[in-house]
Amino acid sequence: MGIIGLGYKGKTHLHNALRLEGAKVIGVADTSEKALSYARKLGVRSVYKNYEDLIKSNQLDAVVISLPNFLHLESATKAAEAGKDILLEKPLARNVAEGEKILACVENSCVRLMMGYDMRFNPLFREIKNKIDDGYFGDIQIAGATNVSAGPFSSRSDRAGPIPVSPWWFDKDLSGGGVLLDLGSHLVDFLCWYFGKADSVKSYLGYMFNLDMEDTATCVLVFEGGPIATFNIGWFSRDFLLSVQICGTAKNLSIQVAPLRTWERVGKDLKSKLGAPNCDPFYLELEYFVKSLQRDENPKPSCEDGLICQKLIASAYKNSSKKSEIH
Amino acid sequence: MSLVSFVHMRNHASDALRDAIESSMNLINFSFEKTVNKIVIKPNMCYYYHPSTGQVTDPWFVGVLIDVLRKNFGEACKIFIAESDATAMKCKHVFGMLGYDELAKEKSVELTNLSEAESRIVEIEAGNEQFKFHVPELFYESDLVVNVPKLKYMSEVKVTCALKNMFGCNAYANKSEYHKALNEAIVGINKLVRTGLVVIDGLIVSGRCTKRLGLVMSSEDPVAADAAASDLMGINPKYVRQIVLASNEGVGKRYFTPVGDFSFFKKEFPKRTSKDKFRSAVAAAYLRAFQ
Repeated sequence: MGIIGLGYKGKTHLHNALRLEGAKVIGVADTSEKALSYARKLGVRSVYKNYEDLIKSNQLDAVVISLPNFLHLESATKAAEAGKDILLEKPLARNVAEGEKILACVENSCVRLMMGYDMRFNPLFREIKNKIDDGYFGDIQIAGATNVSAGPFSSRSDRAGPIPVSPWWFDKDLSGGGVLLDLGSHLVDFLCWYFGKADSVKSYLGYMFNLDMEDTATCVLVFEGGPIATFNIGWFSRDFLLSVQICGTAKNLSIQVAPLRTWERVGKDLKSKLGAPNCDPFYLELEYFVKSLQRDENPKPSCEDGLICQKLIASAYKNSSKKSEIH
Repeated sequence: MSLVSFVHMRNHASDALRDAIESSMNLINFSFEKTVNKIVIKPNMCYYYHPSTGQVTDPWFVGVLIDVLRKNFGEACKIFIAESDATAMKCKHVFGMLGYDELAKEKSVELTNLSEAESRIVEIEAGNEQFKFHVPELFYESDLVVNVPKLKYMSEVKVTCALKNMFGCNAYANKSEYHKALNEAIVGINKLVRTGLVVIDGLIVSGRCTKRLGLVMSSEDPVAADAAASDLMGINPKYVRQIVLASNEGVGKRYFTPVGDFSFFKKEFPKRTSKDKFRSAVAAAYLRAFQ
């Protein structure tokens, strides 16, 4: 496989790919020389400034694309046309029109595209999914999820200082949207994975940081024959919170997955260094992707799932009220 | 010994803040008698954090301070709000995100990205280290530099307040290059750009947790201000290298005379506990060893 884009997520995928049995990293591509030399240090021999040179390689079966949103359409279609299977970081694209083009290209090229919605691979969330399917909660009437952090505007952990923010995050034309597209796409996919098809969506957006895109959002999703779900997302907090609530006729549940304390992070790192089974959702996601390709199966979440999510987010933008407009 | 004032803002209203700022300046006998035509205000805008986190200077605080300065130095006085790009932060984004764009329009002051302004390269020695700084011409042309920092803990230098805030007066953006000798670099830039007045925005502080403290501190001496801040935060200033070095190199005096509610704020500041310090030290050691 090849890794296209070596930002934070791309590096995570590269580390995991190098540890994965049954897969080999053929090469990586990034425009940054610093990122490429980082990959070289990890033992990657073929590094490219232009990802098109990487996808030309006949040795390559699949690519992991972790590029900025405005490059998803171009990179995914070029990889598909080159016959490569794809793991594409969320969101599918900047908008529905681009998403539809990607889907059409993937179908025409007869390749498989899996969306990088890592929440589906969190062992705890998978356990809850099994319980939902088994009827453990009874009829679920209300569900909720929260994902609040500094988004692109801070360090990825409390270990490091602030990190530079790529300029495309500040440009709505390049990103396609704010927190609703960024973190919202995670939670929309997550809730659809749990509860199926959503009938309607409405959102309330906040603009605390005076950007031309929202940094805060609360959305209400109504599921066909299922619960009313709300989710809250934000780029405004130095703290990180990921939580899920489920309220059913038989049982209720409220869990908080993050934040990990420094001690827990150190422990997690040490465990991984000592070779303990890897429970990292990104690792499990990549492992599943590779295994699906080896078994000649279509991995989920698929490109269609990505498009469903993209359409719901577009509806959420359409049916949105600004916080300042609510009286 | 230099005077450092501690004043409690009683409620969260602009009038109360103006009274607190004026009172803090009066307590240090700050003189408005001198002729001042050009003032540079240097707030802390270290990153894209919201002022409610206690990490960056609140534009509301700066706005009220501008009113106080104008009232006393005259409406004709030209005021600049200045910050420079850093390794991880760019002024073109932070000015808008934190609300300084709006403030500059509202108060008719000039918002300056020092990294885009004219500057001169100056060499200086501090603590036996040699540095080159890009010093903006604006500072050579100004009559008064008003340093408006936050008071925070920072693992590399223990305390970050008035002295560290001046680090942002170096127009050179890639500031992480100075981090190898950060204490010395901080002192170096303070030798080049002299603070005339420190007014600390301690309305919300970031200690072991964020707390609405309602504190306004003032001093004409950035070293004394930092020594007082350090004491307030539970760190003996004699163990803070930048304070000792700055004092030794003539930036100011590290012995201060507190005026105002010092003991109240010393009690109320959310200090780091020994457990916090131990955890930070272990985490830092782990990072040094394995990352």
